[in-house]
Amino acid sequence: MAGADSPSTALRRRDLCTRGIRLVGKMRSDVIDLLDTYVERQGLDASASVAAVEGVPPAAVERWDEQTGTQRLLENLAAYRAFRTLLAQMLEEQREQLGEADAALGRALASVLLQVSAFAYHLEELLQLESRSPPSEEGDGPPPQPHLSLFEQKLRGLGVLRELAQWAVRSSRDLRQLAKPSPGTGSAPGLAESP
Amino acid sequence: DSHIQYERVGADVTMKCGSMDWDAAVTWTANGTDIDESHLNGSYLILKNVDLSQSGQYSCYEGSSWHLKYQTYLRVGTPPKEPVLMCRSNNYPKGFYCSWHLPTPTYIPNSFNISVIHGTKEMVCEKDAIPKNRCHIRYLQLFSTVKYKVTLTVTNALGKNFTTLTFDEFAIVKPDPPESVVAKPVPNNPRRLEVSWQNPSSWPDPESFPLKFFLRYRPLILDQWQHVELSDGTLHTITDAYAGKEYIIQVAAKDNDIGTWSDWSVAVHATPWTEEPKHLTTEAQITETTSASTSSFMAPPTTKICDKGAMVGSGAVAVCWTAGLVVAAYSVLFI
Repeated sequence: MAGADSPSTALRRRDLCTRGIRLVGKMRSDVIDLLDTYVERQGLDASASVAAVEGVPPAAVERWDEQTGTQRLLENLAAYRAFRTLLAQMLEEQREQLGEADAALGRALASVLLQVSAFAYHLEELLQLESRSPPSEEGDGPPPQPHLSLFEQKLRGLGVLRELAQWAVRSSRDLRQLAKPSPGTGSAPGLAESP
Repeated sequence: DSHIQYERVGADVTMKCGSMDWDAAVTWTANGTDIDESHLNGSYLILKNVDLSQSGQYSCYEGSSWHLKYQTYLRVGTPPKEPVLMCRSNNYPKGFYCSWHLPTPTYIPNSFNISVIHGTKEMVCEKDAIPKNRCHIRYLQLFSTVKYKVTLTVTNALGKNFTTLTFDEFAIVKPDPPESVVAKPVPNNPRRLEVSWQNPSSWPDPESFPLKFFLRYRPLILDQWQHVELSDGTLHTITDAYAGKEYIIQVAAKDNDIGTWSDWSVAVHATPWTEEPKHLTTEAQITETTSASTSSFMAPPTTKICDKGAMVGSGAVAVCWTAGLVVAAYSVLFI
């Protein structure tokens, strides 16, 4: 069981959570704008249903309110590391397909990729605060994709962005849960780890 | 034997007198009143183009013995039209509820069946006791991109109808309006009103799922609202109120990230602080009146329009020439 936080640890956690919430809020706003641009530039139907794509971490979670703080951080970190790889792939594909013809889409993708990387780093800092080293990235990331047709690539991209938008909402809630002070113990709720 | 018979409005209804032959002598009554023979075809009762007023108890008696041979309760109605269905989450992330009604009454009993499917999973919608046209569902998953599909089927003795609603988790989030809205004047501030409110009590976790607010206000004498969006806190001071005017104020709420705005809260009224008028005694009034004729006109500082040197005339009717020009100009306009 984790002991009670020192006041400075609790303050640092709260500060990191607050900054993380702002970061993820901006990211979500940019992802939603990017979704509109992506759908338009790729000639897709905004209401198209996209089946779950292999390698895209689903934001959907059961018993969300029962998760410990460490679980939240680990799941978030795994997700954003995966999105970092997926967005880099999308950027590469976009450059191959459209080249300089659609620099705006490329810039928007690059901007979101940067924010995803920044948030992943932010999560690593939060994990370190819990005296827990972030897991290594070896072997992480989505499995290698079979060759996809151009249309399949576009649909996959749509699925990636939609799921990222969901994650941005979930992450904001996760950080708010983490930032809650626990009454009496001085530690944030749900951060108790099994021995 | 007695039973219930359902018929559509406008239908032609034929009632047989139980097992009596067609040519048997019978008497039919409707709610205890004899029915005229013109409605009979032998022993059959014929009701053409029935309407709602013809609902009631119909009885058939054997002619001579007055034995009751047949009784039925006729209920005239309509098959159901497509029901109106609405689903909403006012207690996110706990769950959501769906409620429904028929656009027009059928005048006969209806039964409702609702199914909720999330992906491949069928979910249970627990019916509320009150109101009875409502059921609620607990979320098993949060942050899912998979849509929910809700189908409501309404059935009665004359037919059935259904409607389907498809939505995602975030789209139906709509909090209840803020509660306990209070607006108070601010002492010594004639243009301020302090407004406070509380999160709706149905919103279970405002810390992890914070609400933002929209405040609107206007003086009663004007139609146009002023709006302010507030991203946190449940307190706001209006600083541009018209002095002395009564205001009407309302607040709405929305989850910070998802869903739609609540309905407006109950309206509250408030008037900004005004200075108490000074009450004069009779002696003071006399003193005031005596001195009024000897003092020159002094415009209040904020409304100063001319210098002393530009005055014409004297005493109580001293008027600066600039003011005189303005008055003259307006007079010309209105002639």
